[in-house]
Amino acid sequence: MVRLLVGVLVALLLASGALAQQVKLRVFIGGQQRPDVMRKILDVYEQRNPGVKVEIEVGGATSDQQQQYLTTVLTSRDPSLDIILIDIIRPAQYKAAGWSEPLDRYLPLGARDSLLRQYLPAYVRANIVDGTLVALPAFADAQFLFYRKDLLDKYGFKPPTTWDEAIGQAQTILQGERNPNLNGIGFMGNISEGTVCSFLLPIWAAGGDVTDERGRLVLTEDMARRSLQFWLDLMDRHRVSPPNMAEKAQDTIRREMQQGRWIFGTLFAYAWAHFQNDPDSQVKGKIGVAVMPRFEGGRSASCLGGWQWTISNFSRNKAQAYRLLRYLSSPEVAKVLALEASNLPAFPELYRDPDVLRANPWFADALPVVLNARARPVHPRYPEIADVMRRGLNAVLARTKTPEQAAREIVQGLRTIYGQ
Amino acid sequence: MSRGLGRSTANRAMRRSPRDLSERALASWLLLPAFALLGLVAVYPVLDLMVTSLYELHLAYGPKGAFVGLANYERLLEDARFANALRVTLLITLVTVPGAALLGLLLALLANLPYTVKWPVRLGLLLPWAMPLVFAGLIFRWFFESDYGVVNDVLRKLGLAPLFWLSDPRLAFWAISASIIWKTSSFVALVLLAGLQSIPKEYYEAAQVDGANAWQVFYRITLPLLAPSLFVALVFRTITALQTFDIPYAMTGGGPGNATETLAMYIRTQTVENLNFGYGSATAVALFVLCMATTALYLRFLQREEGE
Repeated sequence: MVRLLVGVLVALLLASGALAQQVKLRVFIGGQQRPDVMRKILDVYEQRNPGVKVEIEVGGATSDQQQQYLTTVLTSRDPSLDIILIDIIRPAQYKAAGWSEPLDRYLPLGARDSLLRQYLPAYVRANIVDGTLVALPAFADAQFLFYRKDLLDKYGFKPPTTWDEAIGQAQTILQGERNPNLNGIGFMGNISEGTVCSFLLPIWAAGGDVTDERGRLVLTEDMARRSLQFWLDLMDRHRVSPPNMAEKAQDTIRREMQQGRWIFGTLFAYAWAHFQNDPDSQVKGKIGVAVMPRFEGGRSASCLGGWQWTISNFSRNKAQAYRLLRYLSSPEVAKVLALEASNLPAFPELYRDPDVLRANPWFADALPVVLNARARPVHPRYPEIADVMRRGLNAVLARTKTPEQAAREIVQGLRTIYGQ
Repeated sequence: MSRGLGRSTANRAMRRSPRDLSERALASWLLLPAFALLGLVAVYPVLDLMVTSLYELHLAYGPKGAFVGLANYERLLEDARFANALRVTLLITLVTVPGAALLGLLLALLANLPYTVKWPVRLGLLLPWAMPLVFAGLIFRWFFESDYGVVNDVLRKLGLAPLFWLSDPRLAFWAISASIIWKTSSFVALVLLAGLQSIPKEYYEAAQVDGANAWQVFYRITLPLLAPSLFVALVFRTITALQTFDIPYAMTGGGPGNATETLAMYIRTQTVENLNFGYGSATAVALFVLCMATTALYLRFLQREEGE
C-alpha cells in the first residue's frame, strides 16, 4: 500500500515536472506580415529550445485592424498573448496605457546601450518612450517609389528624382500606351494608416513637420493646404492618377501594380517580394525601386515604417517571452525576414550582406532612405492625430472639402489634441 | 383562463392564503436567475457605461480616470463630428426603415401566394437575413466598387459613365441605404409573413363572395389585420437602424471624410481606436437615450391605439 502511494506520488511529481518544462508562448502578428515565414522562424526556435512551444495568432491585414483587436485584448488584461508585433507609431500609446512590459527590467543599463547600438538609430528612438525601452525592432521599413522599369526604358526615361519629372514621365507614357487599364501615380488615399504618410510626405519634402524637436505643434494651415492640393492636382490637374484615389489603400495599389495597372506606386518595402515572387504577378523583373522624388529645390522625404516586438504586460511567461523576443529581434531573424519577405533589416550591416543583396538588389541603395526617413508624430494620442490627417486628405480626394477647408480642420483638430 | 384569474383575485380580496403566498415566493425564486442574468449582462454594463461617461478616462493619459461630472456631455453639444454622425444616423433610419417595411411587405405578400413549392421563395427570403451584416457590407462594397464593381460594369455596358459610388458622399449614402434595405427587408418580411398566415381564410372567402376587388381586399382586410405585426417589425427595425454600424463600416469606413459615419461608428472610433473611454461612453449614452426615447414613442403610440 505504502509502496503504491509512493509510486503514485513519484509519478505525479514527474508529470508535473514535465508539465512545468513545457512552456507555451503565443505570438501575435498581422496578416500582411507573412505568417508562413514567421512559422519557419519559430520552428527553428522550438528546435533549439525543447519544451517551448510557440503559437502564432494572425490578426487583420492592416495596422489599424490589428490594433482594434489588440485594444480589446489588452484593455481586458487578457493573458493569452505573450509577444506582440506592433507598428512603429504605437510604442508611445503602449507605454501610456501600460500594455507593455518594460524591457529595462531584463537589461542592465550598460547591456541595454550596447544592444541598442546595433540597431538603426531611428528604431532606438522609436522604441524608447520617456526613458523606458518598450519594444525591440523586428524589421525596418520606409516608403519608396516603385516604378515600371520596362515602361520607363521603352520611353527612354531614367527613374525620376523630382515630382515634376515623375508627373511628366507618367503623362508621356499614358499618352503613348493608350491603355485604359494603365494608371500613372499610385498613392494611398482611403481612410487607413498609409494615407497619413501620403499627407505628410509633401510637408516633409518642403522642409516642414508636424512638431518641433520639443514636441510642440508647428504645422501651419498653409503647409497642410499645399500637401492636400498636391495630391488633388495629381488627379484633377495633371491627370496622372485616376479620379477615385479616395478609395485606394496601399494593398489595393500593390495588387493593381502587380496586375500591370500602375506606372508608379509609392509603397512600403514589402511590395517587392510580392512583385517578384507571387504566382499571379505580371510584373516579375519589370519593377524598379527608387528613392521618393523631391520637389524642385526641396529634399527627398520618406515615411518611416517598421515593426517592433513588445511583451504584453499581462503575459504569464514574461521571462520566457523575453528570451523569445531577443531571438526575434536578432540579426539572424532579420536576415531571414529580408531574404524571404523583403523586409528591410533594422541592422545596418545586413544592407551589405551578399545573400540579402542577391534576393533584394535594391537594398544596396535603401540604407540612406531608411536613415533619412521621417517619423510620424510620436504622441500617446497618435490614433486621433492620424484620424484627423487621413480623413482630411480623404475628404479632399473625394472632393467633399476644398484643400483650404480641410487644412483648417486638420490644424484645428491637431491643436485640440496637442492642447495648443 | 379568465375564470381562473377572476377566482384568484376574489381570493386575494378576502385573504391571502398561505398557498398563494408560497406560490408567489416560488415565482420570485424562479424569476431570480433570469433577473440576475439580465442584471449582469444588461443593467450592470449600462450603469457602468453611465458612470464611466462622468469620468475623464483617456488611456493615453493612463488607466486611472478623473471625475469630471457632465463635462463630456457639454463637449458632446459642441462636437461637430457627433452632430454629423447623429444626422447620418437619423437619415439612414428615415430612409431604410420605411424602405425595408415596403420591400418587406412586398416580399411577404409574394411569399404568401399559394405556390405549390414554397421552399425556394422562403429560402430566398431567409438568405439575406441569415447573412452576417459585415458580409453583406463587404459584398456590397465590391458591388459598388468603381473599377471592378458590377454596378459600374452595367452602367458602362449601357454606355453611361461609371459613378464613384463610395467616394461621393450622396451616392455613398444611397448605396449604403440600398444595401441596408436589401439586408433588413427580409427580417420585416419574416415577421409580416407570420402575421399574414394568422389571418383567417374565411375573411377572404367572405370578401370574394361580396365581390371585393384585390385592392379592397388588401386595404380593408390584409393591412388592418397585419398592423400589429407591422408595428413589431417597425420597432425592431428602427432600433437596429439607429444602431447601424456594420454595413457602412465595411462599405466606406465612414468616408469620404466623415460623410457616412454613424453614431455607432463614432463611438467605436472614440473608444476602441482613440482609447477615449470617458467621452466615448458619453456618446454611447446619447445613443442609448435615443433608442430608449424611440421605443417609448412607439409604446405610447401602441397604448393609444389599444385604448381606442
